[in-house]
Amino acid sequence: MKLRTGKFFIREGFRSIKRNRTMSAAAITSVIASLLVIGIFFVIVLNIDFAATKLESQIEMMVYLNDGLSQNIINTMSTEIKSVNGVKSVEFISKAVALKNLEKNWGENSYLLEGLDGDNPLPDAFLITLSDPDQASGVAMSISAISNIEKVVYGKEELAKLLNTTYVLRMSSLLIILILLFISIFIIANTIKLTLYARRREIGIMKFVGATDWFVRMPFIIEGIVVGVIGAVSASIMLGAAYYYCSNLVKNQMIGFMSISIMPFNQIISSMVALLITIGVVIGATGSLISVRKFIRV
Amino acid sequence: MIQFKNVCKEFADGNKVLKNISLTIDNGEFVFLVGSSGAGKSTIIKLLLKEIEPTSGSIIIGDKDITKYKRREIPFHRRNIGVVFQDFRLLAEKTVYENVAFAMEVIEAPPREVRRQVPIILSMVGLSKQSGLYPSQLSGGEQQRVSLARAMVNSPSILIADEPTGNLDPEMSWDIMKTLSEINQRGTTILMATHASDIVDRMKKRVIAVENGIITRDEMRGGYNGEA
Repeated sequence: MKLRTGKFFIREGFRSIKRNRTMSAAAITSVIASLLVIGIFFVIVLNIDFAATKLESQIEMMVYLNDGLSQNIINTMSTEIKSVNGVKSVEFISKAVALKNLEKNWGENSYLLEGLDGDNPLPDAFLITLSDPDQASGVAMSISAISNIEKVVYGKEELAKLLNTTYVLRMSSLLIILILLFISIFIIANTIKLTLYARRREIGIMKFVGATDWFVRMPFIIEGIVVGVIGAVSASIMLGAAYYYCSNLVKNQMIGFMSISIMPFNQIISSMVALLITIGVVIGATGSLISVRKFIRV
Repeated sequence: MIQFKNVCKEFADGNKVLKNISLTIDNGEFVFLVGSSGAGKSTIIKLLLKEIEPTSGSIIIGDKDITKYKRREIPFHRRNIGVVFQDFRLLAEKTVYENVAFAMEVIEAPPREVRRQVPIILSMVGLSKQSGLYPSQLSGGEQQRVSLARAMVNSPSILIADEPTGNLDPEMSWDIMKTLSEINQRGTTILMATHASDIVDRMKKRVIAVENGIITRDEMRGGYNGEA
């Protein structure tokens, strides 16, 4: 394509948007609305991922040891456990430390522990974090096989639930995003159809003086893309501002139930803008192509 | 050269608009296509422009059978044929100059070529002074001359005029006929479909009459209703 032809297309595309101001405004508004919802779901999915990764990395495994092991044996066990595939870190928690933690957790009820009379019923333990929570059961099995281990404990069900919930949320968000994409494409296709109708004389003239199909189509495709991109940029600004506000709110006030912090603004903004603009271009081009293909039959 | 060889056209509803038409038009000829409405004149024009395909037969322009063209070749075929219509088909929001330039722009002619060619063609149809006006500011005859300029600006070898004087009063019609004659004298083949018997009778050009889908008459220097 020649440069001046490109200029011609872009000029014609913008001119047509200006000419159909009302329809273009309506189309842009609809695109903004769908992209906002798409963006919100995208943000939710990203935050779920963010939270899930954080939670997953917090999945811990307690390995309780038999009583009365020498420090030497404990050290060898520690290295043995570290060598198990899927183990990220191993921390030894002696029974003394465990008791102190318990006292701390129980707070003012810790006087109950006084009844122990200096006896410590808690076992020595290893606190293990996992590199991949999916491998938890395998890791637990390997560790159980090591001698002198009393019990391996981890949040088996909680883990499964978490993985399951994130999966469901991700899939349903994806479905909603897809539906909204179709709606946006349909709206843009209709707007372009009206433009095409308004300019059918011009199209007719272009065809009988010998303009190629692509030459006739291009301005309308540009128009669709421009509508999509304007919608995407507006939606990005709105969503970005809202997210910035919300993330500050969460950071400063620590709303009670939000024990998991949301993704920082800087981390989310670029991927969100990139996604929305890509979607804007794609729905714009697809929408116009659908209309134009039907309308421009030589 | 334009050549129809045993061309038939039957529409989907079974209506046979052209029945085995054969005709030859040489380069540089001026031909009137006459006949009552629905006789098949428009079908012949649409076939030449490849807006529709014949049911059978072949149509040759130059040395190529245009029925064999692929879809993407159609635009290039049309660049060789200028067309003017009864209703002018000008773009109201473009000036005279822009309307003519548009025909060059959409086939991606270089801007320098557009700036050179458009004034030449406008002076040929006698509209140099009106180049900045909009179609609504022109008389019917002037509008038709703009559309003639647009049809000729890409120097096609064939000019098809579909009832070009249909919306014009007699004086304006003769203006257009004069311009058409000039274009013809420069070597462009002209095929003009018309109902204007007085024009056909006075021009004394070749007349092809179509009725009910067949050619009923084809004579050199003919009249509208037979020998003039």
